[in-house]
Amino acid sequence: MKKVSLFLVIFVLGVLAGCGSESSTSGSDAKETSEGQEITIWAWDPKFNIAAFDLAESYYQEDHPDFSINVTEISQQDSVQKMNTIFSSGGTQGLPNIVLIEDFRIRNFLEVFPEYFVPLTDYINVEDFMDYKIEVSSVDGEQYGMPFDSGVAGVYLRKSIIEESGLAITDFHDISWQTFNTLGMQVKEATGKPLFSIDMNDLAHLRMMMHSSGYWYTTEDGETPFIDGNPSLKQGFEDLKMMLDSGVITTHNGWDQLLAGFNSGDVAGVLQGNWITPSVKSEDSHSGDWVVVPVPKQENIDTSVHATNLGGSSIYVLDIDGKEEALHYISEVFGKNIAFYEELVQTVGAIGSYIPAAEGEAYKATDPFFDNQPIYQDFVTWATEIPSVNFGKNTYALEDIMNPVFLDYVNGADLAEGLKNAQAIAENQLN
Amino acid sequence: MRNRLLLKKGALTGWCFIAIPTLLIFFFSFYPMVQAFMMSLQSGTGIGLSFSGLANYRRLFSDQTFLAATKNTLTFLCFQVPIMVILAMFFSVLLNNRALKLKGVFRTIIFLPAVTSLVAYSMVFKSLFANNGVINGILLRLSLVSEPIAFFSSPFWAKVIIVLAITWRWTGYNMIFFLSALQNVDPSIYEAARIDGASPLKQFFNITIPMLKPVILFSAVTSTIGTLQLFDEPMNLTQGGPGNATFTISQYIYNLSFRYTPDFGYASAVSYAIVVMVIFFSFIQFKVGGDDT
Repeated sequence: MKKVSLFLVIFVLGVLAGCGSESSTSGSDAKETSEGQEITIWAWDPKFNIAAFDLAESYYQEDHPDFSINVTEISQQDSVQKMNTIFSSGGTQGLPNIVLIEDFRIRNFLEVFPEYFVPLTDYINVEDFMDYKIEVSSVDGEQYGMPFDSGVAGVYLRKSIIEESGLAITDFHDISWQTFNTLGMQVKEATGKPLFSIDMNDLAHLRMMMHSSGYWYTTEDGETPFIDGNPSLKQGFEDLKMMLDSGVITTHNGWDQLLAGFNSGDVAGVLQGNWITPSVKSEDSHSGDWVVVPVPKQENIDTSVHATNLGGSSIYVLDIDGKEEALHYISEVFGKNIAFYEELVQTVGAIGSYIPAAEGEAYKATDPFFDNQPIYQDFVTWATEIPSVNFGKNTYALEDIMNPVFLDYVNGADLAEGLKNAQAIAENQLN
Repeated sequence: MRNRLLLKKGALTGWCFIAIPTLLIFFFSFYPMVQAFMMSLQSGTGIGLSFSGLANYRRLFSDQTFLAATKNTLTFLCFQVPIMVILAMFFSVLLNNRALKLKGVFRTIIFLPAVTSLVAYSMVFKSLFANNGVINGILLRLSLVSEPIAFFSSPFWAKVIIVLAITWRWTGYNMIFFLSALQNVDPSIYEAARIDGASPLKQFFNITIPMLKPVILFSAVTSTIGTLQLFDEPMNLTQGGPGNATFTISQYIYNLSFRYTPDFGYASAVSYAIVVMVIFFSFIQFKVGGDDT
């Protein structure tokens, strides 16, 4: 009998303990301090995005000293999955006030879970922002996202390696991928180094090429898969394979290897969005030796330009307690404050999408790390040329379908058949 | 009279105690199963689900991604389960030797992987097999290869690494079952066999294995179920890559539910596909394993 009662006591205690810990984690994430509101934010990259939010906080606190933010560092993948989970549950518990979402991911949320997002229509002047950033987050004329960083891309190259191969940096201006490949082969022969590296698990470079021509995995409606018969996609595949085969580009596996490649000098350059700048600058010994040239365009595609985008996100306010404060914070700093954007580009290196700020002095500055090239001005100029593309809500799913096709093609499979196959799979899967 | 009352009271207490876990199992296992089945008969994005009959199941058969995932999962199954069961048996026989010193140490070493943190060992494996990692370093130094093997970029090697990781992780766990079964075997049987002139190999095949049959069956069935639901290793080590090479069915369910636009109806249908496969394989194994279990 004693053993039974002992067991019962332990069991009851255990149940109580379990119940007890559950009740202490209820309530929404936005805490209200005795003076003002604390706004929670989900963002990734402490050196870039989170630094921007902190900087914005200090600007906002000049007029609103009681305001404070609580930034949770969370990768985009994790944040997307978390939001999907919480949205699907129908509740709001655990959501932040403000969330940073990559542009090609947002349509999914705006079309499937629109009720969670607060329209910014009265809080933003859309003409002040770059077109392609505005259109991404607007649905039926309502603006949902505050454009943040422009992911405008450029080809970063090591000057000394280029010149060692007998070429000039100007040779890389306004060229097609075909020419890029020829020049790259010369560099490879002279120095043994490839011009940049790609991650075989991620079709980022294909996306960049398509975006530079105004194409995407889908047609303009963002819904219909446009794989078979997509000239830009096909050209992109062929150009990438051409460069892989000739050794002009090499492969890396993951972020760390990407950085190790160009920071160590094994790779002569990098092609990513301008958010790669802090990582390029982290290698002090290369100071003065880097330059940025415009991206090559796709030959045979009329709409192709020397400008493209990779990544880049916008800021969204979620419909939970504290949204008014969040809306003011976003619109007053990110929506209007030129001084903020100037300091942003100087200290963080982030190029915003706010056009009035881009005409300021800070953006015209030359960067000694980049051989005194006014890189921010260059990026902004290219950014204005980037074609608008409707990313649709199925980019992740389509990429997962295209990735094996690309790998098979690189390993020798027939491209036409692979694309036709992929088109069928995509139509089947995305109904 | 008193005995019967006691029996009745005992029975009642017994029923009360069983009632609680039964209710828990009902609410946390059976009810969700039924709900999942109901959901698999619906389709739509996010929470906007509407009834669509067997459309999701029909979609399964023409879904190339699902078929690729199934192929991968079955490949892992066919290679990993036999290797692991054989290894576990092998180790357990070795460690069952009475004369072996430091038995406890060896058992701990072999069992430890089962309790290590999944994420921790994934990172270690990733760095071990990286292009400039330890394994490639050894291979290069021993001149077995002329340039580093890109383990994670090669469809074949990525699968090998997954099988390696799973085997490393679970062999010890299964070995414990074999060990305890072996210790129930009367050593006099082995002595008798040795006196009769049977070689160790003959002893192994004719005595050990038949005695271990129930445990082999148990191990095989649970490993099959575990491998059919394989998620952790591909997710952490290779993210299903390169391309689709190590993509498993459970990963597909995860992608459908949380990574892409949530399609819970179809995801439930895929999970029921796993149920069917589990039933199928377990049935076969029970049939093959003998009727005395």
